[in-house]
Amino acid sequence: MKHPLTNNYRLLGFYAIFWATIGIINIVLQVLWYNVPLTYSILDTGTNYVLYPLLGSSIWYSIRYNSVEEVSVVRLIIFHFIAASILCGIWVYISYAIYQPFIRDNNTFLKDGLPSKIFAGYIMYAIYLVFFYAVNYYQSLKEKIKKESEYKALIREAELQALKSQINPHFLFNSLNSISSLTVSNPEKAQEMVINLSTFMRYSLMHNEKEMVSFSRELENIKLYLSIEKVRFGKKLNAEFEIDAHCMDAEIPNMILQPIFENAIKYGVYETTDQVTIKTICNCEGNFLKITILNDYDSSTIKRRGEGIGLRNIRKRMEIIYNNPDLMKVTDHKTSFEVQLIIPQKQAMS
Amino acid sequence: MSEKLQTLIIEDEELARNLLRSYLKDHADIEIIGECENGFDGVKAINEKKPDLIFLDIQMPKITGFEMIELLDFKPQIIFTTAYDQYALKAFELNAIDYLLKPFSKDRLLAAIEKVKHRIANEEDNTEKLDELSNFRPGEEYIDRVVVKDRHKIHIITVDQIRYVESLDDYVMIYTNDGRHMKQKTMKYFETNLDPKNFIRIHRSYIVHVDHIAEIQQYEKESYIVILKDQNKTKLKVSKTGYKKIKEVLHF
Repeated sequence: MKHPLTNNYRLLGFYAIFWATIGIINIVLQVLWYNVPLTYSILDTGTNYVLYPLLGSSIWYSIRYNSVEEVSVVRLIIFHFIAASILCGIWVYISYAIYQPFIRDNNTFLKDGLPSKIFAGYIMYAIYLVFFYAVNYYQSLKEKIKKESEYKALIREAELQALKSQINPHFLFNSLNSISSLTVSNPEKAQEMVINLSTFMRYSLMHNEKEMVSFSRELENIKLYLSIEKVRFGKKLNAEFEIDAHCMDAEIPNMILQPIFENAIKYGVYETTDQVTIKTICNCEGNFLKITILNDYDSSTIKRRGEGIGLRNIRKRMEIIYNNPDLMKVTDHKTSFEVQLIIPQKQAMS
Repeated sequence: MSEKLQTLIIEDEELARNLLRSYLKDHADIEIIGECENGFDGVKAINEKKPDLIFLDIQMPKITGFEMIELLDFKPQIIFTTAYDQYALKAFELNAIDYLLKPFSKDRLLAAIEKVKHRIANEEDNTEKLDELSNFRPGEEYIDRVVVKDRHKIHIITVDQIRYVESLDDYVMIYTNDGRHMKQKTMKYFETNLDPKNFIRIHRSYIVHVDHIAEIQQYEKESYIVILKDQNKTKLKVSKTGYKKIKEVLHF
């Protein structure tokens, strides 16, 4: 870590102003109150409040390499006592070297000040010590916090990436098989399905895990997904939408809805021989977009175990993005299954 | 081979059925005698028509292809088809069973048929292989349902309906709230595949659902019985190790 005074000019400025102010007050007091001759007062002040601060700034290096956590207290005390003695020795020596030409006359002001000057030197050392330890502690804390937040952001990103839904291989291969079949019986339909599948896949690959898209865009993608599945399942799959037109511009994390529909197909459509309706209801209330997805399912053949991995990932993703764990509600009505998402909006929807 | 292979297609998706039919249409050795959309119809058709060969999809509504095999009295040659199912693939690999991955080519299909013809010519019996296949459950997941057949009706029993399972030599009897069902599986199978949080093997002959235990009584010194919650207050013997296990699960 660099020296805090040379590294930060603002701090250096404050340091200079602080000592200059104290020095000036000292001169004024000495000259006006104690009738000390101006020259002497300037000399005294210069050595105390200019020379010492200059020398004292080097105390930084003595604390920098003697961390309180790493070195024993006894060693620390001995080290700083020696350092303080050396510093005071140099300081007093230089001070008197400067005083020398002025000390000839009989004024004892400078000479008599010697013992208190040495004592003051040790006290100042102690004050510097506390000050620099505080600065050091503050700086390393700041650095730690910065590193920690960087680290957290990295984890968050990695988590989001893992949570974003991937295209289900089962869906992909079954769709390809449908296409393979259609190339024989209905090439035009096969072509249409290839295009739909490509568009759907492109959408899911194109957006990164953080990106927000308009609800209309996400809905379009869901309709595409359902149209692909419709080719496979025929009349067994029935999709209904009740969408409030005002909601279309709402913002929503991309690919957040698809796993819910995938789940509805997996547990609803796939497990029964009857028709299954997937109903999507959507409205906006103030700063929230509310999306409800309902599907019927055959409870006699499957025992649902609450949230599967798909739904859990959505919950987690919502929690990370909006910092709120209660934005998804899952309800099992025994013959139907309901998932509700509440998506916060920056602006009120009207 | 003089006669054509009597072939049944069991597949829930219409397009997948269409494709198979078009691939097999002009095959000299194949005669398609029927198509089924789900496993229920599949069991019925197989037992009635006794085909030589079936094409069987694994992922189907109501019951899976594997569950369907468990219900068959008569086991024909089977060519499995699946799109993507890691567990199924593992099971096939372990038991050296031929399968087709969707989408598959006509050549790949013809090669599979050749293998079947070879097996039939050598009079290879695949019953054992198929039993092993249906016992194989990779992963740590426990079963959540059992499929059984009584006379002509197929029942899907979700595990929370099971009160207890009793061993009967090569079979087990599964007791539910509405009755009992026989199943050709071992006690070991149920012991390992039912969630031990809910099911305890209390005796060599019994596995019981903890929620159905009303009380545990000392019968003699060191021997206990459990009394179930049903009307008849069914009593089941508990072995020494069984008693320990009950204590562990119920924390007393």
